[in-house]
Amino acid sequence: MSKIKALVVDDSKIMRSAVKRTLDQLMLADFEYTEAIDGEDALEKFSDEIQIIFLDWNMPRMTGVEFSKAVRQKGNTEHIPIIMITAEKSMGKVDTALNEGGANAYVTKPFTADQVSSVLSRYIDKDGNFITGADDQSGKKSFFKDMLNFK
Amino acid sequence: MTMTEILPVDLSDVREIPGEIIDSVRQSVEVTFESISGSRPGFVESGGQDAPMNGIIGHITVFNSQHTLTLMVAIPRETALSLSEVFCGMEIPFESDDMGDLVGEVSNILAGEVAANAEQVGFAGQSSLPTVTRGSDLKLFLPNKPPTAQMRFEGSGGGFWVNLALCESRRRK
Repeated sequence: MSKIKALVVDDSKIMRSAVKRTLDQLMLADFEYTEAIDGEDALEKFSDEIQIIFLDWNMPRMTGVEFSKAVRQKGNTEHIPIIMITAEKSMGKVDTALNEGGANAYVTKPFTADQVSSVLSRYIDKDGNFITGADDQSGKKSFFKDMLNFK
Repeated sequence: MTMTEILPVDLSDVREIPGEIIDSVRQSVEVTFESISGSRPGFVESGGQDAPMNGIIGHITVFNSQHTLTLMVAIPRETALSLSEVFCGMEIPFESDDMGDLVGEVSNILAGEVAANAEQVGFAGQSSLPTVTRGSDLKLFLPNKPPTAQMRFEGSGGGFWVNLALCESRRRK
């Protein structure tokens, strides 16, 4: 089982730690983390080796959605799942992140391990390997379904 | 209901924050702290903060082009320490940068909930980045006398206050 290279982007150190701790506790896979404190920092640290991105929205200098758009505009990045982990909860924001920003899934803070596990199960198989070419639409459909049920 | 039905663009004659917004914020506080700590904090009637506080205050705004709703989450030292235990899995030092980071993040999560709930009563807005003040003998003054409200909550980890101030986003000529 090879390590999955994850980029964790959040201006809060506490939240970056919480994301990493949750991923480690879930033991779905072995992760190797790169951390970034905002979108600009994340763009500098982004490389072809990154396999999955956990991304906050509300950050100084460059927001998560701006970063997500920039990554998608690079081209040949559609296979990299971008998981928004953010306090923004309104339907308009979710729609913007998933449809305009190019994110694949949306988790709202404060998140639970189950929520993260549910999202990751679309991208990581039971042996902890990264699933290339996963159905990146399922996360969007699932989130909207949950939101509609909740409302 | 739309925003113009509960709140005019010009706030010069508005003396109180509309009840719909206060109720929306109160619900947001209860949901946010319940999701963080696992138990819903109780709202304390007439629970204003009279005495100065030794603690930490998270400031954040939810705003649109017409109005700005400022949230000030005032957390006494002991409550903040309890909050750090449930949020981080361990108590973090009150004087550390991490404590400021934590309260900023809690304010950010609360603002996200407030923005989503306030949207339901017509206040569509976005949240700012949080800022945090820590100190002793802290007391909030609002010298320009915008419409304000203060709510006290009592949770499993201790009490805290949420102060609100509503103002126009731009001063009209």
